[in-house]
Amino acid sequence: MYISMRWLARHVDLDGITPEELARDLTLSTAEVEGLERFAPHLSDVVVGHVTHRERHPDADKLNICTVDVGKDDPLQIVCGAPNVDAGQRVAVAQVGCVLPEDFKIKKSKIRGVESRGMICSERELGLGDEHDGIWVLPGEPAIGEPVAEALGIVDWIIEIDNKSLTHRPDLWGHRGIAREVAAIYRRELRPLDSDLGPTGDAAPLPLRVESDACSRYLAVGIEGVTNGRSPDWMRNLLLAVGQRPLTLCVDLSNFVMLDLGQPNHLFDRRRISPEGIVVRDAREGETLETLDGVERKLDPSDMLICSGNAPVALAGIMGGEASSVQDDTTELLLEVASFDAARVRRSSARLGLRTDASARFEKSLDPTLPMETAGHLVNLLRELQPGVRVTASPSDEGTWSDPALTLELRGERVRSLLSPEIDDDEIEDILRRLTFGVQRSGSNFTVDVPSRRSTKDVTIEQDLVEEIGRIHRYGNVPERRLEAELLPPPRDERRRMVRSLEERAAGAARFHEVMSYSFVEDELLGRLGIADQERIEVVNPVAEGVSKIRRSVMPSLIGALPQNLHHRDEVRLFEIGKGYLPELAEEEGGEPVEVHEMGLLWSAPKPKKGASFDAARRMHLQAVVADLVADLGLPPIRWAACGEDEAPPYLHPVRTLVGYLPLSIQAPGKKKKGAPAPVEELAVIWLGDLEPGIARDLEVDADVAVASLLIDGLLEIPRRPPGYNPIPKFPAVKVDVALAVPAECSAGDARGAIEKAGKGLVRSARLFDVYSGEQVGEGRKSLAWSVELQAQDRTLSDKDGAKFLDRLERLCTDLGGELRRS
Amino acid sequence: MGELPHRPGLHVSDGPGSPATINERFGVPEPLVRYSGGARGVAPKTHPFLRFCQDGLAMDPKHDALLEELRTRIAAATGDDELRAIERETTGKGGVVQGLLAEIPKLDPSERRAAGQGANELKQAILAELESARGALAQAAVEAERKGGDFDPTLPPPALERGSLHPVTSLTRRLEDLFESMGFQVLDGPEVELDFYNFEALNIPADHPARDMQDTFRCDPAGEKVLRTHTSPVQIRAMERLEPPIRAIAPGRVFRQETTDASHEHTFHQMEGLVVDRDISVGHLISTMKTLLREVLEVEPEIRLRPGYFPFVEPGFELDARCPFCAEGCSVCKGTTWIELLPCGMVHPNVLRAGGVDPEAYSGFAFGLGLSRLVMLHAGIDDVRHLLGGDLRFLEQF
Repeated sequence: MYISMRWLARHVDLDGITPEELARDLTLSTAEVEGLERFAPHLSDVVVGHVTHRERHPDADKLNICTVDVGKDDPLQIVCGAPNVDAGQRVAVAQVGCVLPEDFKIKKSKIRGVESRGMICSERELGLGDEHDGIWVLPGEPAIGEPVAEALGIVDWIIEIDNKSLTHRPDLWGHRGIAREVAAIYRRELRPLDSDLGPTGDAAPLPLRVESDACSRYLAVGIEGVTNGRSPDWMRNLLLAVGQRPLTLCVDLSNFVMLDLGQPNHLFDRRRISPEGIVVRDAREGETLETLDGVERKLDPSDMLICSGNAPVALAGIMGGEASSVQDDTTELLLEVASFDAARVRRSSARLGLRTDASARFEKSLDPTLPMETAGHLVNLLRELQPGVRVTASPSDEGTWSDPALTLELRGERVRSLLSPEIDDDEIEDILRRLTFGVQRSGSNFTVDVPSRRSTKDVTIEQDLVEEIGRIHRYGNVPERRLEAELLPPPRDERRRMVRSLEERAAGAARFHEVMSYSFVEDELLGRLGIADQERIEVVNPVAEGVSKIRRSVMPSLIGALPQNLHHRDEVRLFEIGKGYLPELAEEEGGEPVEVHEMGLLWSAPKPKKGASFDAARRMHLQAVVADLVADLGLPPIRWAACGEDEAPPYLHPVRTLVGYLPLSIQAPGKKKKGAPAPVEELAVIWLGDLEPGIARDLEVDADVAVASLLIDGLLEIPRRPPGYNPIPKFPAVKVDVALAVPAECSAGDARGAIEKAGKGLVRSARLFDVYSGEQVGEGRKSLAWSVELQAQDRTLSDKDGAKFLDRLERLCTDLGGELRRS
Repeated sequence: MGELPHRPGLHVSDGPGSPATINERFGVPEPLVRYSGGARGVAPKTHPFLRFCQDGLAMDPKHDALLEELRTRIAAATGDDELRAIERETTGKGGVVQGLLAEIPKLDPSERRAAGQGANELKQAILAELESARGALAQAAVEAERKGGDFDPTLPPPALERGSLHPVTSLTRRLEDLFESMGFQVLDGPEVELDFYNFEALNIPADHPARDMQDTFRCDPAGEKVLRTHTSPVQIRAMERLEPPIRAIAPGRVFRQETTDASHEHTFHQMEGLVVDRDISVGHLISTMKTLLREVLEVEPEIRLRPGYFPFVEPGFELDARCPFCAEGCSVCKGTTWIELLPCGMVHPNVLRAGGVDPEAYSGFAFGLGLSRLVMLHAGIDDVRHLLGGDLRFLEQF
């Protein structure tokens, strides 16, 4: 909202207050000032000129050559095309170098061979109106050479106030409201407002019927003897200053009063109102109205109408209708000032997409006592301009409103405990009085009368009064106090600890980059990944079509981030820890959709070259990273198993996908029983695999891509490894390299099993270091080369132990259909 | 696969008569000169040099000629390998000295003593020569190393790629650590939130104009479920779960139905803060906010509180901090020298009540910090869309 300082000065003396001070003090005590600007700053460059001589241009019929005195020794010669320019006029002269609105720079020029040093301006060229038929002839006899703004007394500053900071202050939506704040801040008098309607005629009052309960008050005043036309310059300039385009007197006056008092009002052409009078009612389904902006509005019963008889003439609280609008020849007016229900106007204006100055004010819950004051103010302003104006009859005033003024109790102690111990009772009383609250004091307790303009919404409880005192006292004057409490660490939060540990490890040891993606997933991406049909929470008002769905998992967005990054990087390592939502599980949780916490990892690198090591695939590297992350959490080792084809998400490779299981219980150490160990219940908490090849092609990803998902909620259920350590072995280990040539279908796991078995508890580690298939092992076979460490707890192993191990392994190899390779 | 199918290791040998040989790792390297062992049934070979020594033994018990010959060889040696070879040939197993000693029993007993002594002296002399040659060689190597070769100080080192945490994560952690050190609990709340928590319980009833201030994503036409527009719902959830005194922060993502551009984003991060206790006042809020800003801005903060309207606080404030980037106004502070940093205020009694806390017995303050905005301010990020854009060229800078 724009506030003109000159306009403010109509209500309160601003002497000695600079615009900057005012802006700062309003910000600190009332509402945020977003901007401070000179009104039409070019008017201080444009000067008053006196046309001393005018003659026809010798070579152009419509041009005049004017000699203009601008208060300097040397008068200016200006060529002017306006038909109304003449000697003797005082005019607005933009001299060479002056910049007018829309960056129009005045230069020295020659017009048809005649030199012209400046421009005599029209109102439109100065941004003061639409008048462009001729130059602006200045009224009166302003001093020659003076800047126009100063000479005409229209120097003004415009304060822009953030509307959001006025949401709760219906009283501040007009200049008088702001002036009231200024008066309170600076301890100045608010000038009285003449709002007495004055004498009324004895015609019969207009019939008025309020049928809608969303109209708590409707005031209709008939006015006659009006001459519509151009409004006075002072009013035009104030309206211009706050960004309103002046039109005709009736429109300007209605606007002016709204911007002055904050109460919207409407002037109908009385001729267009049926003798049946005004009816305020809800719109009927399918009813239409052409509003003043020329748009035909389709209405429904949530909208409210002002009707002339049965015919709609205005959309209540939002905009007038075209058919009843005031015309140039209108002499009889019907003034409407009403109170409409805030929520109702807000809904209606939102539904129709029609937000107006009026609806913005009604939405704030206006003071229902304000209409009468507004009517009086408008009529008095009109009477000042046109003394012949009469009010035809006593106003029609209908509605169920009641005065919302209320009384609150305020405890001085409460003020001191919430705000500052330094605020004493005298100061409390002083501030409340300055803000026009009524105050009765009894000891440290106050009974406070809240005026109706403040009580509709804003000031209804004790804390609201505390705020009033705080903002005038100024929060900057409140002394700091340190928090004091018992020293207690906050309770452990296992999930947050886990998330931190995962983040740290992934970004640190594994050198992955953390990404944060949107919670929305694009339909297109879901389609490409083959998961469009999964149930997802969806917003009904997305920012764009196709981005309405909320993710179930972080994986799709992670995969979605790959193609763009591959344009710039050969290798991409990303992870994200985030939430997903599973709506199908909402019922179990009392209607709230189940939230899952997940870590996603993606590793993409150029495809391994032919002949690369068996573990060159990203998938295997990612397995190592995941194993490290899990180990870092203090959890037991992961058991990896192939994922059934139907269990993996469709964007994972149908075969090369693994599930990682972790045990739900841990066997107590040292109590190993003989025989087969009892089966341990496991939880599948990880899946990991290659990106599905068709999807990779579809995404134009030509790389080796592996992805993994860790279910954090699942990991939290896994018991940590018990604390403890393994003693450093006292006896040396023997390292043995073995190569098992086995049938191709025999797995590394089978081979490892054979090694473990052959070791009879002596195998401390077995590391596969090569996998070979080719000529040297023969068709349908492969060689698995392992580096095995044998170690005993109680003795040094001998050559014999090694030989026995190899003998056993050889037999087991044979069982697998293979052989132990000898060199 | 270009490699052999198997590597050297403990292999079962197929050579007849030869048991499994010890793995190369543990074995002794083959000597260059093997002293005629005979035991293994291999014909002894005699090195020509050894023959030379044997021949000289009779005429020169002190072996001066031999020593002279060796000195020349040692002096000519250019590396430790050569010295070791000489050592092996002479003093090692099957070497010259051993050969000499083996010849002694064949000598006349009167000569034996002198020959034994001579052989031992020869050994000591050789070892001394070798030792000194080694010292000289090592010293020469150090001198050569000191010259530095073709050192180029501008050669680029190999890139050690690193990972990174998202800047929002890093800032969140800093703040979590700070607040935890002051006894605050870090809480989490759902992003898909019920209207009750997001609005109703926060003193924003249906049709309240404040709902317009936060363009809300609705998850159903009636908006019973919404994407939370702020982290404030956690205030209610915290009060429902915890008994006063409550000190909590709640970082997380929030959503506004807004068209995105360089300075607007429909998804961003906030951190809520809540303190509920007896006699909590504006002074406590100011002190806590200053502590917060001291950590974030890393300077002693200059702040101002001005009235701000948020339905869930009363009184409510906007907290501005003096612009850290300028003294006279800049683009960041829009020329005002103040940066609007966080909305805050004293918890509205209706909100306390909604959380089951008696507003007569307790009071509290709450604040909402824009994490995304702070990260942008901090790093000078001019486009908010980078934060959730997933572009490595952005992420790897943090």
